[in-house]
Amino acid sequence: MMSERSILLFGYGNHGKFIAKGLNEDGFRLKIVESNHDYYLQAKEDGFMDVEHLDVTNDSLLEVLNPQYFEQLVCVMEDEHLNVFLTLSLRSLFKESYILAISDSLHTTKKLKMAGADKVIDLYEVSANKIYNILKRPVSTKILEGIVMDKDGITFREMLIPEGSFLQDMMTDDVDFAPYGILLIGMIDEELGHTFVFITTGINHKLDAGDTLVCIGPKEKLDAFEEEIKKEKSIP
Amino acid sequence: MKQFILSLALALRKSKRYRAVKEYVWELLNGTGNPYKKYLDTFIIFLIVTSVFILVYEVTNPVPAWLDYYDFYFVSFVFFVEYILRLWVHNDLSKYIVEEYHDAQFLHREFELWPVLKHGFKEKLNYMITPAAIVDLLAIFPAYRPLRVLRIFVLFRVLKLLRYTKSINQFVEVITNKRFELLTLLFLLFFIVTTAGIAIYVLEERINPNITSLFDALYWSLVTITTVGYGDISPVTDAGRTISMLVIIAGIAMISFATSVIVSAFSERLSELKESRIIEQINKSRSFLIICGYGQMTKMFFRQKKEKIDDYIILDTDIKRVEQARKDGYKAVQEDASRFETLKKFNVEHAHITILCLTASDVENIYITLNAKSISRKIRVIARVNDINIVSKFEYAGADHLLMPNQVVNTMIRTAITQPTMYKAIHAILTGKSVARIDEVHVHEKHSMVGKSVAELNFRSNKLLFIGIEREGKFLFNPPSSEVIQSYDILLLMGRQISLEYFRGRHEGSL
Repeated sequence: MMSERSILLFGYGNHGKFIAKGLNEDGFRLKIVESNHDYYLQAKEDGFMDVEHLDVTNDSLLEVLNPQYFEQLVCVMEDEHLNVFLTLSLRSLFKESYILAISDSLHTTKKLKMAGADKVIDLYEVSANKIYNILKRPVSTKILEGIVMDKDGITFREMLIPEGSFLQDMMTDDVDFAPYGILLIGMIDEELGHTFVFITTGINHKLDAGDTLVCIGPKEKLDAFEEEIKKEKSIP
Repeated sequence: MKQFILSLALALRKSKRYRAVKEYVWELLNGTGNPYKKYLDTFIIFLIVTSVFILVYEVTNPVPAWLDYYDFYFVSFVFFVEYILRLWVHNDLSKYIVEEYHDAQFLHREFELWPVLKHGFKEKLNYMITPAAIVDLLAIFPAYRPLRVLRIFVLFRVLKLLRYTKSINQFVEVITNKRFELLTLLFLLFFIVTTAGIAIYVLEERINPNITSLFDALYWSLVTITTVGYGDISPVTDAGRTISMLVIIAGIAMISFATSVIVSAFSERLSELKESRIIEQINKSRSFLIICGYGQMTKMFFRQKKEKIDDYIILDTDIKRVEQARKDGYKAVQEDASRFETLKKFNVEHAHITILCLTASDVENIYITLNAKSISRKIRVIARVNDINIVSKFEYAGADHLLMPNQVVNTMIRTAITQPTMYKAIHAILTGKSVARIDEVHVHEKHSMVGKSVAELNFRSNKLLFIGIEREGKFLFNPPSSEVIQSYDILLLMGRQISLEYFRGRHEGSL
């Protein structure tokens, strides 16, 4: 199932490099497009097979790439002007595609959104937020970071409730997660539309097959739980 | 006698109370840190102003007796006490005596009191002949009634204001910086005035009825050169008028020179004065932020419209960026935070300082971190790291928290692509959205939750998710419900803002 997921990555600069490596590890099918010759060579050198060197400002060349066959288009070009232009071209050419872009200033974020990016990640916003958090909540920020960065073996995980799982039809309040050594942070309840709800909102949800749980805990415990929820309800 | 003074000195030296009082008085008179200093300053300024007011009022109006007593005795007495106190705290005679005594004992030589006292008194005398001390002394004089002329000495009380108002101090400082130029000018003035005065005296003494002495001639010369020109004395001969013309031209040149010297002195120092004001102001707060570098990150930090930050100061070495910051309405100063002197200016000892190293250069950030930590370990440093490979260097330098914009964003992008659901969750948690705040509760020894188990606290009923405990630097994730809360634990909870506040309100109270 994972191997079907494919990403078209524009840019192999500082960010592109890291993202490509991560996605490769996660088993994504990856195509890298780069207009800078040096970065292109770098990508080749790093062992990526599907790398193209082309002028991204040329629409006809972009069309040849067939972006519609990719799940997401990720724009992380080093040159922010080029990045905005590329986002705009992709949006105008391919209405349906999901475009994710990186921004390194407030102005660019705005432009990228206007250009039609579905999701913009702002480098400085995230960091500036972090400064606030460090000032207000130093300990939790450090621990959270460890969790997000997967440093101390504790991590986030999302899990789909399979058909016939023992969790089916149970209420969130009734499930005791303590024996599993993990915590439920929130879930996507398909009944309520595809939105994420935090467990701490205090609403009791009914679990169905197809819902996604987001849990936090040590890796091996999460693995065990993921196996566990595949089991059917034990007959009382 | 010698023995008596020695034992007195020894006793004073030993007395902690005496030293504390002396130190306190010194701090009150000369220091900056004493909280009561401003009341004393205001009081003295009030005395000066009333005293001068009485002087002026007295010229044409009869003054009630009590006001006279107030002016002559009370004000003068206060100034007298102040003068004595200043003289007292200027140096420490007992210390010199005791030191000399110990030295004498150490060397087995005879203890001599006189040289030490001489040295001590000489220092006091040196203080007494400083302009400030002379002004202080003269300001006491009007108390002496029989000599009417001494009344004018009340004006010396105005000069005392110099001590008590900062802006005048700075003005004097600026002027003294241009000492050389101004002295040159004064010398030139003196030279021209005397030459022209003597010339007019020689040329017109017999002809001009208004000039009868050399003093008249010098007076005329000064009045003319300063372009005041009263006209009570004017030259009558052609030779005299020629000298007048030369003097007038020299006068204009000199006045413009003097003006330009003073103006340039101020324009040179103006920004510096402004900056020192900003630093003084920030030093008054008990905890503040020093933000190094005004770049993208700093701008973004300020745009976070969560809570307003008041106690901060921005330091940047680039004047352009400093100006930009000021234009944007922030308190910024052009200073190099990597220099020891810069950080030393801040109230490092008494205030809780957090330094944000947000410059784009890693080298600079490391340098600032080291600089701050070398001044005081108490300063908290949050540093930005661009190159992930040098994280360990920042840790060695002692940075308390590290910001890695690239790494954070890269992780975010990766998560956004691979696990879009989680991205939302993590993003919400990291940005502290109200439904999913992760907050920490610092357990104090007096809190009622100390000694209770996790099960007893029943986080779930408060709609809180208990994530774990940070205890002595270690994080216990999801501890069993039998775990007992200890003093100084930090509890990590997730929940809505109101749940967190409710929990805090209920459990942070003492038993």
